[in-house]
Amino acid sequence: MAVATVEDLSFSYTGDSAPALRGVSLAFEPGEVVLLSGRSGSGKTTLIRALAGLVPHFHGGRFSGRVEVGGLDTRKTRPAELAGTVATLFQDPEDQVVFGGVTAEVAFGIENAGAPPDEIPGRVRAALASVGVGHLAQREIGELSCGELQRVCLASTLALEPSLLLVDEPTSELDRDGAALLLRLLRRLAQERGVAVVVSEQRLARTIQVADRVIVLDEGSVRLDASRAEALRWYETERPACLTPLRRSDAQRTPGETLCRLEAVDFRYGDGPLVLEDTSLELRRGEIVALTGSNGSGKTTLAKVACGLLDPAAGTVERSGRVAYLSQDTGRFLVRERVDEEVSLTARSNGAALSALRALGLVGLEGRHPRDLSSGQRERVALAAVLATEPDMLVLDEPTRGVDPEARRRLAALLRMETQRRATLLITHDDDLVTAVADRVIELGEKVDRVAA
Amino acid sequence: MRPAAALALLAALAATALLADHWAATAVIATLLLGVCLRAPAARRRPYLVGCAVTAVGVLLVTPLVVVEGSHPLWTGPVVPVLGQLDVTREELGSAAVQALRLAAVTLAFAAYALVLDHDSLLRSARFARRSALVVALATRLVPTLERDVHGLVTALRGRGLEVEGLRGRARLMSPLVAGSLERALNLAEAMEARGYGRPGATRAPAPAWRVADRFAVAGAALLVVVGVLWL
Repeated sequence: MAVATVEDLSFSYTGDSAPALRGVSLAFEPGEVVLLSGRSGSGKTTLIRALAGLVPHFHGGRFSGRVEVGGLDTRKTRPAELAGTVATLFQDPEDQVVFGGVTAEVAFGIENAGAPPDEIPGRVRAALASVGVGHLAQREIGELSCGELQRVCLASTLALEPSLLLVDEPTSELDRDGAALLLRLLRRLAQERGVAVVVSEQRLARTIQVADRVIVLDEGSVRLDASRAEALRWYETERPACLTPLRRSDAQRTPGETLCRLEAVDFRYGDGPLVLEDTSLELRRGEIVALTGSNGSGKTTLAKVACGLLDPAAGTVERSGRVAYLSQDTGRFLVRERVDEEVSLTARSNGAALSALRALGLVGLEGRHPRDLSSGQRERVALAAVLATEPDMLVLDEPTRGVDPEARRRLAALLRMETQRRATLLITHDDDLVTAVADRVIELGEKVDRVAA
Repeated sequence: MRPAAALALLAALAATALLADHWAATAVIATLLLGVCLRAPAARRRPYLVGCAVTAVGVLLVTPLVVVEGSHPLWTGPVVPVLGQLDVTREELGSAAVQALRLAAVTLAFAAYALVLDHDSLLRSARFARRSALVVALATRLVPTLERDVHGLVTALRGRGLEVEGLRGRARLMSPLVAGSLERALNLAEAMEARGYGRPGATRAPAPAWRVADRFAVAGAALLVVVGVLWL
């Protein structure tokens, strides 16, 4: 019997003319891992919200059709009452943390569900152990790395012992090993506990390997609902670009003059340990350098020192030309109320702003408020705003986070096309992007336990 | 000491600082609370201590100009519309110092609450008004979150070649900051609802029992307020 069923569901957010979901009908069986895929803004997050009952209860809007989870009609049952049957791991773990300590955080959902008090500590320990972070029980949330926090949030949802687990873009902030570990964990949960797991993901290539079934959404409608094997065949014919690795479109070129040189740089935050120690780096016009390494290895710190956003404790930094830096999670830090104003704010010229909007596929969204866009679209707005400054040195920190395969491909092509104009430093966990665009790769070793930046 | 007992002590110290007439008593309390705040890491305590110093100094400077008291003038200034003749007397200065000390003590008590106490335990030990306690705990977290958002915004703009300088530059960040806070609050509310918050029949993990020291601390807090009212 299906854990959840969706019948002819259509939904529009208040104030939006276009529906986010149109006539969606689906069923989710126990023990299966379902990959929910589609472009940015295709309705993946809205479908997850509908399965959690948050649409329409929390978000409002026009809702038609029927969603049943564990035999409960979500229109008649509040999301809080569905908790326990369904659990959701949201896209940004930082935004779902209520308490300051790990134990209290994991206990929160169990307490709300009305579990007997004597059972709560045991369930907290079991949930933490099941995701391999039992040792973090006494830690403060603020001390955790991205990967650790993601797993603590997953433990919080598992502690509810749900029959339906909804996971929205779980690997977007994780390094390669962290993402692989999380996906294996989701697979194991489905197999061992019979949980129906629905994962919304942009990074298809790695997620599809753990999925039993793939659903593709397109402008709010189900374009494909098929087994993994069928889905792979469909992608090969319909959207080959989504699964085939990005390819390099040009040969490596000879770099020009040096635009940035770091020599024997040390850096620490406050009185903390050294995040960078005796680190050197050279960036030359015409080359793309990828900076890789696990979460917490100091990549962002090194990039900020190279840009002049942080001053080193020791060593020398030389720079020339205009520098632009796209920070991590930059979609949060947009300051204007229209997309075109945001991009024009620091653009070198109107032409540069228009060209950046076109290059990032943002034509048609100029009049929208950036905060009304999906996270992937916001990231593209931020990227356009940085590119419009026409820098000599461009530093991009995780530019493909939450970005769909098509936009990612466009970004790779853009970076290669404009290589000669500038020196580019790319911080990313996206190996495919590195292969496609980087002329040099620098891998940082692990220096600190947490991302201090 | 359990956080609830420590909170009672902090509240008693703040109340005594407000009630005491002797400036020396208020100064001792403020110094004691400053000592507690200094136990927190430097980066975390900085915004609280700066806020405390700014408000206390503000009160010290403004009070003598708006209060009319005493007969020993130290300085006589111009006539200002609405306020009249500006002057500063010895008595006004003394009164301003006491008010500034009181404000500093209360602000430091809040800073100690925010910096040193375990808010999770405090919230979980709340026997009544748990929702209100949760609101207070979340509001306490707002200060570091806002600080991080400001830093993120400034860094993102500097990364685009736009320096945020001066009061005017910072003021321009208000709108995106408020929008960001509202968005964060909505995301949190959504996540809390999805985790069953507000559902009837919620339970609580067993809390550790109160020790003798905790009971003494609460009794001491009550005694402190009484002493403050009667003798300080």
